[in-house]
Amino acid sequence: MASAVTETHENAQGPTVPIIPAVPCADPQGDPFLRTRFALPARPATFLRRQRLVDHLDQARGTPLTLVNGAAGAGKTLLAADWAAGLPPPVAWLTVEVGDRRPGVFWAYVLQALRTCGAPASDAVGVPADATGVDQRLLATLAAELNDRDQPVILVLDEYDRVTDPEITEQLGFVLHHAGRGLRLVLATRTEPLLPLHRYRAAGELTEIRAAELAFTPEEAVALLELHGLSLPVHAAGALVDRTRGWAAGLRLSALAALESADPELYLKEFEADRSTVADFLLAEVLKGQPEETQGLLLRVSVLERFCPDLANALTLRTDAGPILAGLHRDNAFVEHLGHSWYQLHPLFGEILRAHLRERLPGLDPELHRRAARWLRRSGFLPETLAHGATAGDWDFTAGALVDDLAIGQLFTGLGSGDLTELFSPMGPEARSPAADLVRAARDLSWYDLDRGLARLRHAEEQLADDAREPAAARLSCALLEALAARLTGCTPRAERAAERADELRQEVPAHLLDKHPELTALLLTHLGSARLWAGRFEDARAALTAAAGAPGGASTVLPREDSMEHLALLDYLNGWPGRAERKALAAVPEAERAGLPRPSASGIGQLVLAAVAVDRHELARAHALLDETARLPSGTRDPVMAAGRALATARLLLVRGKARAAVEAADPAVAAAVASPWAAGYEALVASAAHLAEGRPDEAVEVLQGVSGDQPACAVEAAAIHVAAGRAGAAIDLLDSIRTGGRAGPAVTVRAALVRAQAAEQAGDTATARKLVAHALLDARRERLRRPFLDAGAWIRPLLATPPLHELAADWLTPGLPRHGEQPRPKSSLSPPLVAVELSGRERDVLERLARMMSTEEVAADLYVSVNTVKTHLKSVYRKLAVNRRGDAVRRARDLRLL
Amino acid sequence: MRYEIRVEGHLSETLAKAFPELGHVVMSGQTILFGPVVDEAHLYGLLARCQSLGLRVMEMRQLPE
Repeated sequence: MASAVTETHENAQGPTVPIIPAVPCADPQGDPFLRTRFALPARPATFLRRQRLVDHLDQARGTPLTLVNGAAGAGKTLLAADWAAGLPPPVAWLTVEVGDRRPGVFWAYVLQALRTCGAPASDAVGVPADATGVDQRLLATLAAELNDRDQPVILVLDEYDRVTDPEITEQLGFVLHHAGRGLRLVLATRTEPLLPLHRYRAAGELTEIRAAELAFTPEEAVALLELHGLSLPVHAAGALVDRTRGWAAGLRLSALAALESADPELYLKEFEADRSTVADFLLAEVLKGQPEETQGLLLRVSVLERFCPDLANALTLRTDAGPILAGLHRDNAFVEHLGHSWYQLHPLFGEILRAHLRERLPGLDPELHRRAARWLRRSGFLPETLAHGATAGDWDFTAGALVDDLAIGQLFTGLGSGDLTELFSPMGPEARSPAADLVRAARDLSWYDLDRGLARLRHAEEQLADDAREPAAARLSCALLEALAARLTGCTPRAERAAERADELRQEVPAHLLDKHPELTALLLTHLGSARLWAGRFEDARAALTAAAGAPGGASTVLPREDSMEHLALLDYLNGWPGRAERKALAAVPEAERAGLPRPSASGIGQLVLAAVAVDRHELARAHALLDETARLPSGTRDPVMAAGRALATARLLLVRGKARAAVEAADPAVAAAVASPWAAGYEALVASAAHLAEGRPDEAVEVLQGVSGDQPACAVEAAAIHVAAGRAGAAIDLLDSIRTGGRAGPAVTVRAALVRAQAAEQAGDTATARKLVAHALLDARRERLRRPFLDAGAWIRPLLATPPLHELAADWLTPGLPRHGEQPRPKSSLSPPLVAVELSGRERDVLERLARMMSTEEVAADLYVSVNTVKTHLKSVYRKLAVNRRGDAVRRARDLRLL
Repeated sequence: MRYEIRVEGHLSETLAKAFPELGHVVMSGQTILFGPVVDEAHLYGLLARCQSLGLRVMEMRQLPE
């Protein structure tokens, strides 16, 4: 280095961070399966509009919440659909499904429903990326946007009873409360939701239509039977209403059953006297009246959620499903038309038909699921293919479908990763295809079970090598897992080979598959970058990681993008740029938070970088808190880069606190890696050396620094500092001169280098030069608030810092009261400018304000209409952002930072 | 725990198969389903199954061991 101190500039904006665009994640090319969920169900020809119900339901336009409560087949859906069809837009409709039981999936569909009805949420709201959770900020932003609307959105959630997670209902309550007059929520449900209904009721903000009101009156029953072509006197209808308790499905079935008998009126009379359960009896009657092939079809399609004629044919092995389904729909028996030739069974009848299927065709279930899975795979419906394949227990087929679709990356990232892992969990050893082994290997590696994962991966590779007919997608999936295995075993050459092979295979794989699964490439590049970073090939690593961080947006790539951004942060740190490192690490956080990923998410490297930066700035409590957060992560001990990062940050913190022995122990990353990592080894040696020096063994201290060379600038300057402290100024300057920065060394390097030269000059009696170098160091360090190099420098620097102009340069951020090695700085300097750009969410600020008013957690919860657990979650994140552990400290800190 | 669930009406043999883990007996206009219930989740699952089959639950009680 010509000069130890060089002016450094960097973009004030910080690195560019890819933002997740609000891409519709629930609408792959207008999949008819999905489109039907957002469409108002069609009313059949025999639908009877009952004005009293429509009038009552119309009050929903004036109340935030409306409940339509009733048993299966009570007519909730058709009532709501008929009412909603007559409303001015925007009316959003969502038919909830069993798969929506996780918050992330549920909200993704709600956002899609809003988009479909022409009242889309803006990009600021974002999309959930993780099935299990959704960020409070997403909900708050959504609520605020709804609140700003001139005209309310009516959101109808049909079959809301399928939502079983109380968290979803709590979130829905939150959005409803904060959306004010901008949202009118209508829930059609079999069971009462866990919303604070009494509060809405007391405030006159609830419209309720319950089972008793939904029940048919005798007059209405007469009108309904007339639509079926039956005429019945009112008194006879009264008896029928008594028998069915006015249940819409019961009346409809009795009409159908009566029509099939010789004397409908007599039939209905006899039915009144029968004591069977209504639906059971009537359905059996109606089914009995159908031709054999119709019965066969109805029983077989009962295993499906939805079907089209072609799919039904695949199950019956016949070709007549089209006319049969059209006929059933025309007669309003069993099936409902969803549009685009897709049908579904009425949920109530589907359940009963499945019971009949099990009795009449025992053992056929798995075969039907297998046939359905094969048809769905041919037609390109992957999630449904996997579900039916798994139900059939046909694991070779199911794993093959996943791998051939190039979807194996979805086991690691994206909305469905948890569900997919669960789906494959019952897979037994009987599945022997390479695809099954790939799925197993992916699962093991995602749990850091290296031994089993590697064995399975090897097995899959051997099988793939033997059979040239295996598709390129399987080989590409294999390359991805190879790259992951290479990353986890610290084997950089292996990662390079995997990446090269992936590059070749990408040419052979159909382009539409690659477009459909950007997560595969993003994951692969992240693993490659991580392996290169481990080996100290920083610029190569940066190339791969930058490409991964810039992968196309969307929920599926959030994790690899965040992971690579955090790796880039570590890279900056290792090059001596703490400010840049901090900005990148913090940039990765909000993106993941917007996507609702749990904090800290999978890798946690970002937290470690922040902790290491905090040590360099002598913010020890914050460093400690950040390290604690990552302590429980499974990646902490198994991922080499993570383990080395953790060892580095922990050991440096311990060293500063004067615990030299513990620091030496913590400095060993304790991971088995195939290739050595120069920076990990360098930092380990530094800690050992510093410990020797601290314990008065300068010769040993110098001895262990043998391996540290100028290739690792950040390490080398610290090593030089130890040399000069051990009285070997010559060796220190030699080491500094050997540093090859290639223009990448940041302030953490230049500041320390300047101080080493200053100390050497001071030792040589050249105080003027020393003062000039310290001044340069102060200028460079001030912007980054790099306190540690000065605190580590030793006693010689104190007199210099006390004299002008250095005194001015150090004022406020470094002095007064330079603490000695191992001491906390005095409060004034520790509270100097905000350590990070602390940004509290609106809700966190709400909670904090109430804390400042001395309210208890319970009182805050009641005041904000949220649960105690929600308040605790906000508190935790406030503590984390403010780097405190107690509420008193949080309030004090927030006042100091003018957040209150 | 053992429970019995009383539903309105006579349940057909076919539909009773929707509750393979329970025994059933038909008496005086009602059907009684009875048997071991693993935990609360199972209990609520049974109730939901009754609802989805259009059965009307009249009574539900835990039986002494």
